[in-house]
Amino acid sequence: MTVVTHPESDVRARQGGTLLSVEHLCKQFPAKSGLVKAVDDVSFTIRRGTIVGLVGESGSGKTTVGRCLLRLIEPSGGRAVFDGVDLFALSERQMRTCRRRLQIVFQDPYSSLNPRLRVEDIISEALDTHGLARGAARRERIAELLTRVGLNPEHARRYPHEFSGGQRQRIGIARALAVEPEFIVADEPVSALDVSVQAQILNLIQDLQQAHGLTMLFIAHDLSVVECLCDEVVVMYLGRVMERGPSRRVYANPRHPYTRALLSTSPVPDPRARRERVVLRGDIPSPLDPPSGCVFRTRCPHAIGACAQVVPPAEAVGPDHVVACIRQAELAA
Amino acid sequence: MTELAADVVLQVEDLRTHFELGRRVAKSVDGVSFSVRRGETVAVVGESGSGKSVTSLSIMRLLAPPGRIIGGRILYRRRDGSMVDIAELPEKAMRAVRGREIAMIFQEPMTSLNPLFTVGDQISEMILLHEPVGRAAARARAKRMLELVEIPAAERRLDDYPHQMSGGMRQRVMIALALACTPSLLIADEPTTALDVTIQAQILDLLRRLQAQIGMSILFVTHNLGVVAEIAHEVVVMYAGRVVEQAPVTRLFERQKHPYTRGLLACIPDASRDRGAAGERLRLNPIPGNVPNVTALPAGCSFAARCPYVVDVCTKDPGPPLVAAEVAHLSRCWRHEAL
Repeated sequence: MTVVTHPESDVRARQGGTLLSVEHLCKQFPAKSGLVKAVDDVSFTIRRGTIVGLVGESGSGKTTVGRCLLRLIEPSGGRAVFDGVDLFALSERQMRTCRRRLQIVFQDPYSSLNPRLRVEDIISEALDTHGLARGAARRERIAELLTRVGLNPEHARRYPHEFSGGQRQRIGIARALAVEPEFIVADEPVSALDVSVQAQILNLIQDLQQAHGLTMLFIAHDLSVVECLCDEVVVMYLGRVMERGPSRRVYANPRHPYTRALLSTSPVPDPRARRERVVLRGDIPSPLDPPSGCVFRTRCPHAIGACAQVVPPAEAVGPDHVVACIRQAELAA
Repeated sequence: MTELAADVVLQVEDLRTHFELGRRVAKSVDGVSFSVRRGETVAVVGESGSGKSVTSLSIMRLLAPPGRIIGGRILYRRRDGSMVDIAELPEKAMRAVRGREIAMIFQEPMTSLNPLFTVGDQISEMILLHEPVGRAAARARAKRMLELVEIPAAERRLDDYPHQMSGGMRQRVMIALALACTPSLLIADEPTTALDVTIQAQILDLLRRLQAQIGMSILFVTHNLGVVAEIAHEVVVMYAGRVVEQAPVTRLFERQKHPYTRGLLACIPDASRDRGAAGERLRLNPIPGNVPNVTALPAGCSFAARCPYVVDVCTKDPGPPLVAAEVAHLSRCWRHEAL
């Protein structure tokens, strides 16, 4: 007997329950004239074994979210429940132990590797911190990690400057994998790389994610990368979530005017593609003085008076698909 | 000097720009030829180390030592109809061309604008330097330039310093500055790379509109094939200091006659192509290996080590010549017919 299931439910079945639940995350930075709300009331969940893409332009707060989750910067409010534990409630010491399970890969493979350390010491720093391997076992582990990310184990004695950008990013990935984490924040891991090298690293990230059943938050500004790589996508603008949902659904049927604009202006390598482009006017407003109500309204082609009055609540428009726009229903019609 | 075809503004012929680094020589640009016609946008595409930026700096004669044009010609038709070879033009004569007839905008507007002067002063200075007008007239023109690039409240913005503006605004100011003397050729070196996509779309729209309005030619240097598809008429693909393929934009995206261009396009994630059935992750087809170092290029074709179509002849000198694979479609590949 064949059981016909919805193709998407297959995916759900293979993936586990919630690993990380971010609830009402806020982060304010002090500024001369008051507080800057870099991240304002951001909520989303990540299921075990999935990749969630976090997209937005500069100033959207996407990097701040990633760093708050690992407490590389301290959040100002909200919770991040990781496998039943609120990361934000942990003491500094407890968090340090917990970081073995959460790792990060940075954007710039040039500034994120210490130029004075050999590759073996860069990779094993976390091993040493957590007291995971010594002597021969340590050397073996380093060689194994280098092989896993596609580098030669003989490279362990070299320094970062001897490597190309793509190879350095492989080292950054090996460092993150060293402690066998369950969850990785990848903060624009391919943005600084040449196009031909980006594809190599994206394939590597996927292979590793599948081989180790990793859960990932993939921060990016390149929408096509996120569409291809991520199970779900969270779209941020000026510190807030505009829309989130399964990536297939969001890309096929974007419901928020900002998501639509973003998708329509992302260049596609096809000169014949005549798309209806929504070119937004103006710039992202200063986070020091964000617009009242909906933060996107000053650039939104559909803004009305009411948009300045209320912060739009997140409304469900489909399974796991949420949009923060008071006009989403009429705009969809 | 040979004649340029009537509508050609710039013709680069066998340009060689090398950097002598002690005993090694970086052949950053090694025999590059292409031309730009009036009102046309030519995109030069390549990854890091391809020589695309060195090509544009050679045309502007802004090379920093030890960079030096060691061969070839850069024929340019001046506004008065006369023809000059920029590669040999004395610096004094070059100063009358640079900024006035050929202008350039860069990737990072913050480093190209002077932080100590207001944007109004910087645009006025450009006009005063090249044209016989007074301060008041130059300022009035600066204001019109800001309006042209759609900066709101232009009058007030004239007195702003670069740091008071956003990245997108600064790139608009750079464009206003570049266009202040109505150049016939604008060289845009990755002008939208540092910008967000919604701002990038604004700047590309602006460049297209200004080109139609002013009738200038644009040499657009970029690594982004998506941007190329949107803005270019003609595309020149560079790899390791050489042109490997050249064709009109629609043709190039339809049929690539060089394995490198084909590989580059295949690397760009495209969900409709690369993502399989529901739940399947994408599988990209990367080009293996890394971009070669121009101080130590291999014998034969520079792309051979990364090429899926490689055969014995590819790794032997001399490397493949740039030939017409089809009408108006050049390829530097021994096996272009097999593609």
